[in-house]
Amino acid sequence: MLEVVKPGLETSIQDYPGRIGYLNLGFPWSSAMDSWSLRLANVLVGNNVGDAGLECQYIGPFLKAQRDTTIAITGADMQAKVDGVGIPMWESVALKAGQTLEMTFAKTGTRSYVAIAGGIKSPEFLGARATFHKAGVGGIGGHAIQEGQVIPVGTGNGNPGRKVKESARPQIATDKQWQIEVVCGPNDDWIDKAGHERFLSTKWKLSAKSDRSGFRLEGPDWTFTEKAYNKLPEHGSDPANIIDQGYPVGGINLAGQTPIILVNDGPSMGGFINPYTVPQCAFWKLGQAKPSELLLFEVISVEEAQQKARDITALCSENSIV
Amino acid sequence: MIYAEPKCSPGGDRFMLIEFGDELTLALNFFSQGLARATMEQKIKGVVETSPCFSSLSIHYEPDEISYDDLQKEILTLAALLGEASDVEVESRLLYFPAVYLDPWTAAAMNEYREKINPEKDPDPEFITNLNNLEDVQQFVRVHSGTEYWCAALGFWPGTPFLMPLDPRCQLTAPKYNPPRTFTPRGTIGMGGGSTAIYPVDGPGGYQIFARTPMPIWDSKQRLPQFESQLWLLQPTDRIRFVPCTVEEFNEVERKVEEGSYEMNITDYQKVSLQRHKAWVEQLDVNARF
Repeated sequence: MLEVVKPGLETSIQDYPGRIGYLNLGFPWSSAMDSWSLRLANVLVGNNVGDAGLECQYIGPFLKAQRDTTIAITGADMQAKVDGVGIPMWESVALKAGQTLEMTFAKTGTRSYVAIAGGIKSPEFLGARATFHKAGVGGIGGHAIQEGQVIPVGTGNGNPGRKVKESARPQIATDKQWQIEVVCGPNDDWIDKAGHERFLSTKWKLSAKSDRSGFRLEGPDWTFTEKAYNKLPEHGSDPANIIDQGYPVGGINLAGQTPIILVNDGPSMGGFINPYTVPQCAFWKLGQAKPSELLLFEVISVEEAQQKARDITALCSENSIV
Repeated sequence: MIYAEPKCSPGGDRFMLIEFGDELTLALNFFSQGLARATMEQKIKGVVETSPCFSSLSIHYEPDEISYDDLQKEILTLAALLGEASDVEVESRLLYFPAVYLDPWTAAAMNEYREKINPEKDPDPEFITNLNNLEDVQQFVRVHSGTEYWCAALGFWPGTPFLMPLDPRCQLTAPKYNPPRTFTPRGTIGMGGGSTAIYPVDGPGGYQIFARTPMPIWDSKQRLPQFESQLWLLQPTDRIRFVPCTVEEFNEVERKVEEGSYEMNITDYQKVSLQRHKAWVEQLDVNARF
């Protein structure tokens, strides 16, 4: 059991892979944006890789342990301390009853993950604990953690002193630039050749108006093929309008001229085209990118994207622990 | 247009979009929903979930269990089999939604948009009226409320219906807001492209707006019996009929919803037959308006 002394900025309970199977009702997966980091944090404290932990964004929480336990912090560096003494990241650490874990602002990256031995055991909703605050479901009471709440934790002691090999960790960019993998489609035939070239050669600026539902990108205008103009009125009149369709998670959704990457809490359906899709293997980068940082997109094939996701999954295991 | 063969495209490493055509017809939606159902019933290895919409189907698959190419083969085979079944009918609930057309709440949201974002924007009901060559906003209200709506899909936000008119004489079109509105009141009825939607909660939005219903379609407080086992009201294959009402009636219904005593008007004994719908549509003058 952990008591929330200070909640941080929209710190939420997230698991992996999240609320799967309900896109056709409009429920997004939610789940951790950088699930590579959450999974490794869980491995460190002896949990199942998908157990619920905390996703901290920009500014982390202060949490007081009500019993002896083991924690691990991964992802962004929020300068964590226990009772004022700095603790290492990517390593399991003992947290004794009465001690307080203190996290502050993210020095590198954006999202930190806290795993607790036994995993967070808030009530499940549609098979997952992941918080989807826009609909008020999952987590505790459907929202970010609040001051004074007690976070329920399962049984499990964990062992301190376990570390993740340097080579198994996601490498958070420090030069404010990210190379993001994309797969062409599903609506790539709506964009003309010049539009594709422009998309792939531009360093897109991540807008401050980005959150867990959408990452807005700032950059040049898009140009379209004949298909975008010569269509029935049911599509809507803007070139980027299409008859409403199911959206892939990670779709780069063209709202008029503004590309918005549909991320973990994003809409499942709508009437804009998705010329490209960010595959799951690149989601951790989105989770760690800061507003105003630059994203450069690189096309890979469906098979390459699938292999990269497998490679990450293979790293989220006991083999990565020393 | 209905494509000769469904068109498959990848959505990243674990989605496939299958498009059946590029028009808004009941036949295409029946096909999307039918293929989604068949895909799940066939228990194709690696298919995690399906998300049918008006004229397309999105599939989430697990690449460790099935490759993109194998999934495409399976889906096209299934689609070809399904294509032969022409006489389809499905059970369909009919839900009556009281609705205030040309209401003060959506008017306020529109005005706020005009003041803050785009003063040039015509009020939505007038805009749709002109765009669709209707006589006046009263005729727009008659036309919009003159048909049953088919719930083709749920999505965007939990429980949000994507609706299409079953009566082609009531087919209207409108572009979406650009840029979108930052506020739309819960229960707002709006349209974009050829589809109509109801906003389950307050929020941003891009549809042209012109009416509001007090019927809840999402209730995390679970005040009415319909929300006891799930937080959303609708399902694909439902039909909705908007019944124009006054602000006073709206307020009365809202009060009853609030205290948990509202009796929803829902019937559940009918089927919708694709062939009978098609035959009926064929003998209509689709250019006639109410």
